[in-house]
Amino acid sequence: MDGWVGRIIRVDLSRGEFAVEDLDPYLAMDYIGGRGLGTKILYDEVDPQVDPLSPENKMVFMTGPLTGTGAPGGGRYMMVTKGPLAGTVNCCNSGGHFGPELKYAGYDGIIFEGKAPNPVYLWINNDDIEIRSAEHLWGKTTSETEDIIREEIGDKWQAMDTHINCIGPAGEKLVRLANIINGKNRALGRGGAGAVMGSKNLKAVVVRGTRAVTVADGEAFKEAVLAILEKVPPGGGPLADFGLLVVHAVVSMMGLIPTRNFQSGVFEGWGNIDGFALKEKFLVRNKACFSCPVAGGRVYRVDVEGFEGCGEVEAEAHVNFGPMCGIDNLAAILKANYICNDLGIDTISLGGSIACAMELYERGYLPEKDVGYQLNFGNVQAMVELVEKTGLRQDFGDVLAEGGYRMAEKYGHPELSMSVKRQEMPGYHVQGIQGTGLEFATSNRGADHMRACTYNSELLGIPEKLDPLVTEGKAAMCINLQNFLAAKDAAGLCLVTAATAQMTPEDVVSLLEPATGAGYTPEGVMLAGERIWNLERLFNLAAGITAKDDTLPKRMLEEPVLTGEAEGHVNRLGEMLPEYYQLRGWNEEGVPTQEKLEELGLA
Amino acid sequence: MARIKVDHDKCTGCRLCELACSLHHIENTFNPKRSRIKVFIEGELHYPVLAGPYTDAECTAKNMVVIAGHEYDECVLCRASCPAKPIFKEPDTEVPLKCDFCGDPPDPQCVKVCVPGALTFLPED
Ligand code: SF4
Ligand code: SF4
Ligand code: SF4
Repeated sequence: MDGWVGRIIRVDLSRGEFAVEDLDPYLAMDYIGGRGLGTKILYDEVDPQVDPLSPENKMVFMTGPLTGTGAPGGGRYMMVTKGPLAGTVNCCNSGGHFGPELKYAGYDGIIFEGKAPNPVYLWINNDDIEIRSAEHLWGKTTSETEDIIREEIGDKWQAMDTHINCIGPAGEKLVRLANIINGKNRALGRGGAGAVMGSKNLKAVVVRGTRAVTVADGEAFKEAVLAILEKVPPGGGPLADFGLLVVHAVVSMMGLIPTRNFQSGVFEGWGNIDGFALKEKFLVRNKACFSCPVAGGRVYRVDVEGFEGCGEVEAEAHVNFGPMCGIDNLAAILKANYICNDLGIDTISLGGSIACAMELYERGYLPEKDVGYQLNFGNVQAMVELVEKTGLRQDFGDVLAEGGYRMAEKYGHPELSMSVKRQEMPGYHVQGIQGTGLEFATSNRGADHMRACTYNSELLGIPEKLDPLVTEGKAAMCINLQNFLAAKDAAGLCLVTAATAQMTPEDVVSLLEPATGAGYTPEGVMLAGERIWNLERLFNLAAGITAKDDTLPKRMLEEPVLTGEAEGHVNRLGEMLPEYYQLRGWNEEGVPTQEKLEELGLA
Repeated sequence: MARIKVDHDKCTGCRLCELACSLHHIENTFNPKRSRIKVFIEGELHYPVLAGPYTDAECTAKNMVVIAGHEYDECVLCRASCPAKPIFKEPDTEVPLKCDFCGDPPDPQCVKVCVPGALTFLPED
């Protein structure tokens, strides 16, 4: 095959066995790859009612046909499982170098099933596949784990490209916010994927390969790559200057920066922690994922006493550890990120959960004796300490490890958890960005800023500018983007690169077609995206996640923002959701109609 | 002689150069292990290294370099395709690889895809 490699590894951890299977080319065509194929395999093989942390759950690592090809931003891969935070299908997406390397070893994906009796890691070196003991790695941080494994494998040359995905102590301890970390800094994030890996006693997946990814028409492919590179503004544009914080520069200007658990949209300390401050104080360099011309990654080094560290950070996390917790100490925010990467925890969810705990504390619902110290907004020491304790499930961290929603429920105020389907919201006050509210409410894995990126349109005008305060037209836009992004995820393309280069479905086909020769058209790609979205929906419905869960925190729906351009506005989800269901071809209960399923080949 | 100038500071570690090189030399194929440029990435440091001439013996006066707290021998940054070095060799046949500037006249593909501008082509001295 071209584009796809055509083979998948299936690992039965309970028996300590593995087999290599052929990829079904028709399935590959219909679901493209990555998020699509991964979801299809999960849907076919796993009962949606299953306990996410039981051996019956599976983990499907899957690349797309463009992964490893040199398509701009074509380094992505996904891991699909049932997530323990939201209880939905959970497709995590990451860049870095692991996905391409998996293909160079000769595989499109890996399916993990069962549970190993003792800690293990999987080592893939072309045809040599080995399940190795990881007893000595249990308890180690993600960066320690990488270093030890690289030593063990004998890759003193990082130039030999041994690439590693692993969990830290948080995943081992089944923290519902745990991530899987690769290259010490990049995450298969959100939803608690790391806990699933921990529940399987799987510490790491290690890969190296020397094979090729072939494409059907190299010349046409090259032309398409060069044409898209032309569309990347010199140096990557504003993104290259400020990383992802460029969106938040606009968000904060509009008075929509989530502050103190979304109690306000204006953070007085923003100037101390914004993109300019970051760049000036701590920036080491810009860093790219595999095959990415934009290089949105930022490496920061902090040598402020008590907060020392070095690594990459993520924009939404910046908001959730910063303004959300009332903190404008930049070094502390970065430190919280570093600890998260080391212990393997989701930064967005943990920041949001701590902010929620702070509000519970200030309102007197969370007694100080339960925490052990004061937990007021702006308390830098308490925030950093709680990050560490949550990753290790120590003291009050053990409660937070269940996620903000479950914690708030325990203290009698679940409405104070700023989450959708129990997953914490990223950094957007959706009272003032209507479409993004719809995006969060309908996302198939809980609040998520990477499922439609409607804010790109509403705030930055990519691909077209829509007024953020109106609800008209938002349902159609949201659906269109959700389908398109599902297809891009499936192909193995990075959403940030795609947005920066303003990639259209035609651009995606200009890469996908010469890569695979499978006969893709722009309509076919959009249809595949819609198929993926509906299949995710079917999984969730069967898991008991239904229309009642397509909602937003009460605060977004009932408490108007008090300042800024959106003053007086709440999110008018009720105006958008019925139209959304209707345009999706779903009934009023949010269930896809038979007709729609037939159209998509899902009946 | 034509040269390619490397600016380490500008390199983001995207490895598009490796991919462009392998596609140019092997039809319809992406395989960084067969590229004549290799981006060595250690922590926040990125070193694109172009494959130089083949040496049939490893050199004797090797030094250790310390990069981001890790010790490497000099071979990491050395351009030679040498018996001591596990890269710049065809994976299966071990035939040495060398940058050929993508033909005559030179038409370096790696430079074309280096958006951050870490690679610059200097046609003639
Ligand atoms: S293409 Fe340029 S920026 Fe990217 S890795 Fe190669 S030299 Fe570095
Ligand atoms: S690769 Fe190492 S041993 Fe070989 S010539 Fe270069 S420095 Fe010497
Ligand atoms: S000039 Fe050509 S042969 Fe030399 S490294 Fe660049 S792409 Fe490869």
